[in-house]
Amino acid sequence: MSSDHPTDVSLVCHGASVTTSSAQPLFDSAFLRKLDRLTLLTRRAMVGNIQGERRSPRRGSSVEFADFRPYVHGDDIRQIDWNLYARMERFFLKLFVAEEELTIHLLVDNSASMDWGDPHKLTYARRLAAAFGYVALSTLDRVTVTAFAAGAGAQLRGVRGKAGALPLFAFLQRLQPGGSADLAAACKRYVRTAINPGPLILCSDLLDPHWEEALRALGSRPFEITLIHILAPQELRPQLDGDFRLLDAETGEAVEITADLETLQRYLEHLRNWQESIERFCHGRGITYVQVDTAQPVEEFILTMLRQRGVFR
Amino acid sequence: MSLLAPLALLSALIVGPLIVAMYLLKLRREERRISSTFLWRRMVRDVEANAPWQRLRRSWLLFLQLLILILLAIALARPFFLTTGISGRNLIIILDRSASMAATDVTPSRLEAARRQAYTLVEQLPEGGRATVIAIGGQMEVVAASTTDRRQMNDAIRSITLSVGSRGDLSQALALAAALSAREPDSEVAIISDGNVQVPTDILVPATVRYFPIGQRGENMAISAMTLQPGPAGQMLFVQVTRYGSAPVTRRLDLYLDGSLFNAYELSFTADDAPGSSQTIIADIPAQVRVAEARLNSAPNEDYLPTDDRAWAVSQADSSMNVQIVGPGNRFLATALALLPGVTVTSATTAAGAVDPAPQVTIFDRVVPETLPTGNLFFIAPPRSTDLFSVTGVVEFPLLRPAPSAIEGQTPPLLRNISVSDVNVLRAMRVEPGIWARVLVEGDGSPILIAGEREGRRIVVLAFALQDSDLPLQVAFPLLVSNIIGYLAPGSGLEASQITPGQPLIVAVDPSATAVRVVRPDGRVEAAQVQDGQAIYASTGMLGPYLVEQVRGDQVIEQRRFAVNLFDPDESSIAPASELRVSQVSGLQQAVTREQVGRQEIWRWLAVAALLVVVVEWLVYQRTSLAYLRQRFRHMLAARRQSA
Repeated sequence: MSSDHPTDVSLVCHGASVTTSSAQPLFDSAFLRKLDRLTLLTRRAMVGNIQGERRSPRRGSSVEFADFRPYVHGDDIRQIDWNLYARMERFFLKLFVAEEELTIHLLVDNSASMDWGDPHKLTYARRLAAAFGYVALSTLDRVTVTAFAAGAGAQLRGVRGKAGALPLFAFLQRLQPGGSADLAAACKRYVRTAINPGPLILCSDLLDPHWEEALRALGSRPFEITLIHILAPQELRPQLDGDFRLLDAETGEAVEITADLETLQRYLEHLRNWQESIERFCHGRGITYVQVDTAQPVEEFILTMLRQRGVFR
Repeated sequence: MSLLAPLALLSALIVGPLIVAMYLLKLRREERRISSTFLWRRMVRDVEANAPWQRLRRSWLLFLQLLILILLAIALARPFFLTTGISGRNLIIILDRSASMAATDVTPSRLEAARRQAYTLVEQLPEGGRATVIAIGGQMEVVAASTTDRRQMNDAIRSITLSVGSRGDLSQALALAAALSAREPDSEVAIISDGNVQVPTDILVPATVRYFPIGQRGENMAISAMTLQPGPAGQMLFVQVTRYGSAPVTRRLDLYLDGSLFNAYELSFTADDAPGSSQTIIADIPAQVRVAEARLNSAPNEDYLPTDDRAWAVSQADSSMNVQIVGPGNRFLATALALLPGVTVTSATTAAGAVDPAPQVTIFDRVVPETLPTGNLFFIAPPRSTDLFSVTGVVEFPLLRPAPSAIEGQTPPLLRNISVSDVNVLRAMRVEPGIWARVLVEGDGSPILIAGEREGRRIVVLAFALQDSDLPLQVAFPLLVSNIIGYLAPGSGLEASQITPGQPLIVAVDPSATAVRVVRPDGRVEAAQVQDGQAIYASTGMLGPYLVEQVRGDQVIEQRRFAVNLFDPDESSIAPASELRVSQVSGLQQAVTREQVGRQEIWRWLAVAALLVVVVEWLVYQRTSLAYLRQRFRHMLAARRQSA
């Protein structure tokens, strides 16, 4: 077990002078109360650092019986099941399920492409991350938030408990959109440095040619990945008519198009194919894939969509 | 094709570069920042495979705009074709609407083709040109008088309908046209007709006369005569069918008596029969038949004029007329008169011994009384002079021929269906008629048959005695007698029951009658005007049987029937004339046909084409919205189908 630092806030943020008060509140209190009732579901038990409320694959001291095991020299004699000894005349240890904390990994894409759309994609991602973080904190889990845009990368490590909510929210509100992000490289780096693998929530628009590589990298460690695919309505249903020169927000690259219905239909077809290929990819790797249109209110998305998909209970 | 205003083409040179420049400016794309070009790039890569087509489609709008420009520029330059037409500024259109214009050899009919030709002429009229539209056939009518308003001209032309009345008469119309064109320089007279018109010889038109012939074919069969007479077995029906074309033809003639089919006859003409040859059907029919109708069954390619394929004859059994013969006795005459329906004949050897105090017609056969009786008179071989004419001697073996008529080509009613040149005469009286008389037949310079009106009475003089000729032995004789009696006693007899379209019905009215009504062929009942003991009804433009009833209170006291038939060989011979002889002041003796002087401008069509292209251009520009609408519509339909 590693050392626990429940309020260890490490900020690697360039615009650290931004105050929390100037930004818009992420949620109102009514919604926070609703979030209190939610729990992040995990499909399997995962190892934590310190005692918490989650089932761990280790044996430990809870009220829930797990198994018997023959006594070997050096075991704690307080764990011997004397009733069994009376019946069998042999020593057995009674084992209980250990309950430990979980580390929730929140990965927020704050690349320039997220700084776009109406409603704004990055804001949407911030609020989603805050909601996930708050739910995790309220169930005594540890939360790590990482933003990985070039020039605006930041990380908040290991906040724990309700008290961690304030630093979490402050961190998210201070989060600035950065330049371009190499999603795959960022994910690979994160996988290398992450401590306790646990539920990992990636909030991104995945507008990156190497999205597959990124997801594959995340899958190389036993994270339980939930991919929240955030797209703005302007991306899902572009309202363009005429001749345009489209400039990429990250790379500045230009594409010339003549937007008519046919072009738009072809675009929609591509979009659908792309989304389907992501879904197929995720399905094959046990990644929970959830699409979201930023036109849908965050509250509604969390309380209905994510519960339906079994992310929350 | 030439241009009226070629300088207008310069406008294309000015505006064209402007459009292209605007288009090039428009090609600069609007820049828009988006989150990522990731998806678009992938799509564009697909599209690039058919990029040339894409580029072409983008220039559709430019192409359409340039097309509009070119069309409008050419329209401004006012291109025209030379066509047969007119070149003057004061146009007088004479449009034939007589019965032969109903022929269907030109679809849909000659009249419609004539109207179209008239519209074309009006269109060729230069700016500010005037036009007068005169319709001939039946009553001449000036439907548009010297107007500059094209709409009025077109309305006037449209208002011209067929008139089956008398034959188209050019003389009145040409006289009017001559008067109109004398007033204005640069006048032209356009005659739109099939050529079956009477052309006057004595009018010099001070303008160019152009003739626009209408019609192509002359195949037609007509019922050219039909009468119903008392006969030995009740009544005798006589139907004459004439073929005016030259193609061999076989057709069926259906005979209806009082509305029900009585008999059908097969009539065949071979190619050897001369055009205008006729066949006659004589049938005995019951005495009680009132109206007989003959119909030639239709044959689209053998008969182009349906109007003359039906004819009617009415029974004359009801009417009566008093005819008195004064003379030594004449069996031929008595027999011929007895054949006439409704004629009561009384005979006397001298005028003093006359039985009937007031006969309608008195025939003086080789006698002349001291005092002439009242009523109309018919002298046969008068032995001495009277107040009306003088007898100066005798002509031996005169050769008979019809006198040149005032109106060329028109047969006087007395000589209808009669050929006098076959008649041989031994001796005729040399009669010098007064100025009242018109000579109808002459022989060696001496009048043989004269007719006319003097002091309100009608007089006919036949210069030879019937016994001195073979006339009584010829078919023409009963017809001549019938014609003469019909002329002398109008409003009665066989002749009166058969009238031409447009001719008024005249009936002597019983003084006790309170009203006179007319039942028309279409079943409508109209009241006739009564004046001076005569009822007159003039709306007889429709062919068919008419019934005139005199009514006292609720009681019908007298009925008379009339049949209105075309029976006009000039109208039935529908072969179009290719030339028309009209004397003109310029020295031309013939109306000009097919000279290419008309300017058919086509700028209107170009403007219409430009308008269409504008619409197409707009649709192309809005194609996205249209496709969107179509999609919405399809969704709506699908939703409706699901809910259903």
